Amino acid sequence: MLRVSAVAEKAGVPTASLVSQGFIGQAKTTSFGLGLPDLGVALVPGHPDVQSSEELEHNVKSVTLERVIHCLTSAQQGMETVAEPAPRGVVFEGTLDEVNRYFYENLWTDGVPVVPPTLERIEAFLAFTDRDPGEVLGTMLPENRAATIWNIAVNGVMAGCRPEYMPVLVALVEAMADPQYGVEHSGNTPGAETQIVVDGPIIKELGFNYEQGALRDGFQANTSIGRFWRLYLCNVAGFQRHQNDKATFGGTWHVAMAENEDVLAEIKWPSLCAGMGLDAGENGVFVSRFTGAHVIVSVYGSTAAECLPYLTDAVIKHTGWELCFTIGMSTGTYKPLLVLSPIIARTIAKSGLTKADVQKHLFEHARIPARQFEKYISGYTNIVPGRRSLYDMVMLGKAPKVFGASRDPERLVPIVIRPEDFMIAVSGDPLRTNCYFFSHNGMLGFPTAKPVKLPQDWRAKLRAAG
Amino acid sequence: MSNKEGTYSVYWPRGERTLDVQPVAPRLDSLSGKTVAFLWDYMFRGDEIFAILQTELLARFPGMRFIGPDEFGSTHGEDERKILAALPEKLKSLKVDAVISGMGC
Repeated sequence: MLRVSAVAEKAGVPTASLVSQGFIGQAKTTSFGLGLPDLGVALVPGHPDVQSSEELEHNVKSVTLERVIHCLTSAQQGMETVAEPAPRGVVFEGTLDEVNRYFYENLWTDGVPVVPPTLERIEAFLAFTDRDPGEVLGTMLPENRAATIWNIAVNGVMAGCRPEYMPVLVALVEAMADPQYGVEHSGNTPGAETQIVVDGPIIKELGFNYEQGALRDGFQANTSIGRFWRLYLCNVAGFQRHQNDKATFGGTWHVAMAENEDVLAEIKWPSLCAGMGLDAGENGVFVSRFTGAHVIVSVYGSTAAECLPYLTDAVIKHTGWELCFTIGMSTGTYKPLLVLSPIIARTIAKSGLTKADVQKHLFEHARIPARQFEKYISGYTNIVPGRRSLYDMVMLGKAPKVFGASRDPERLVPIVIRPEDFMIAVSGDPLRTNCYFFSHNGMLGFPTAKPVKLPQDWRAKLRAAG
Repeated sequence: MSNKEGTYSVYWPRGERTLDVQPVAPRLDSLSGKTVAFLWDYMFRGDEIFAILQTELLARFPGMRFIGPDEFGSTHGEDERKILAALPEKLKSLKVDAVISGMGC
């Protein structure tokens, strides 16, 4: 919304941005990041969604109206700019405790002590890339800060990564900077978290855990790389606590998950990254934001036909308001992730099913009554305003035909718009029958995969690192 | 480590800002006779708030003209980047004097 105002202001058109009470702080920091600290903000008291029509009218007439007029007709007060350190400058000198206190007070940590980013440690990370430390990989919204090889190394040190993780960190930042991913939405109120998935030979080379406890902290590569993502979002994209990060509840960053490449090869299923355009066997990282995750316990059955109904049921049960990403808010961007434990993936594959077959099965069977779908997007919520039925949206060309086969509110409709929207990974305890499902945050963290590019003399450097 | 035992010289973890601070557009002397566009992310009852604002502004500033959000499309959907890229030209072609943008909630 403020990005819209920024574009208009730069085109010479004055604006008033309507902002509810809970967003005033974020509006200030975002305006600064957009290079327009004086953007005019008009307060809407409280939150509109919980006000009666009369309350809303009163609030708009008594508060918002005057602010709108002021924003459009009165000179805005200049906001003071604060000088910042040089991008590659020393910012502090002190003991471990003093460094951590300084970083914490400046909102540069996740609340847990960081490893001090000294020159010696940063250079050790830079030795694991052939790229120039000053190279800019992209500009990170909302603060429009430069993502560089240098600041990747600094945050990698802080997160407790090992220097040899650097190629993975660079690939992750390339994914974060990709407009398809949509990093600018990372502070939205649902507070979704990013799940990183790692594929390729690098899993074993760097010692990622991909078996029992695949999503548990405690394994350095999985854990510190997951932490790196959060620190980089905070320090370079600018999603600092109680500033641009507006998660209503939020959650702790997720440990990076590695797929079980041995089992994938055995059952001849492509990895997640391979399914997104990377070569089979290529090192890669995948990122996407998920609104929640749920374990599917004790899947029972010796065939695909026996296992799939329970998985299908779980996929339906854990999808609610996110349907606005299937139809309505950003149509066709709901892409949930189902993680199969190796023994369940093997059982399904043993019945002759490919990954594409499983996706097709879920598309055809994970369906809900149209009335229920409509309730989630424009009944219980007002995410898709207008109270239009799915049938009407099909008639208006705003939804695929499969959602409007009839006007019957009890007809079953899919929860994604194409079979491949169900993403499937294989990881976790090889001999347990539990699976995992991640509900997805649509375009607000869209699935993105990037190859991991290794430096020259990778193996020699890896050996030297011990 | 620095040359003082037990202390660390540490580096800035952030990235350089890539945008210089700019002034906002010149403000209008009055809203009378001006054209205002409502731009919307199609969330949080913006449609109802726009309607209230339109009624109140019209009553206070004669000759105002309003362009609704459907003219532009959702500013927070899958087409956001496309819509923003086209916005300056669109505002110019529609002779828009001011924008009211919502909703930040």
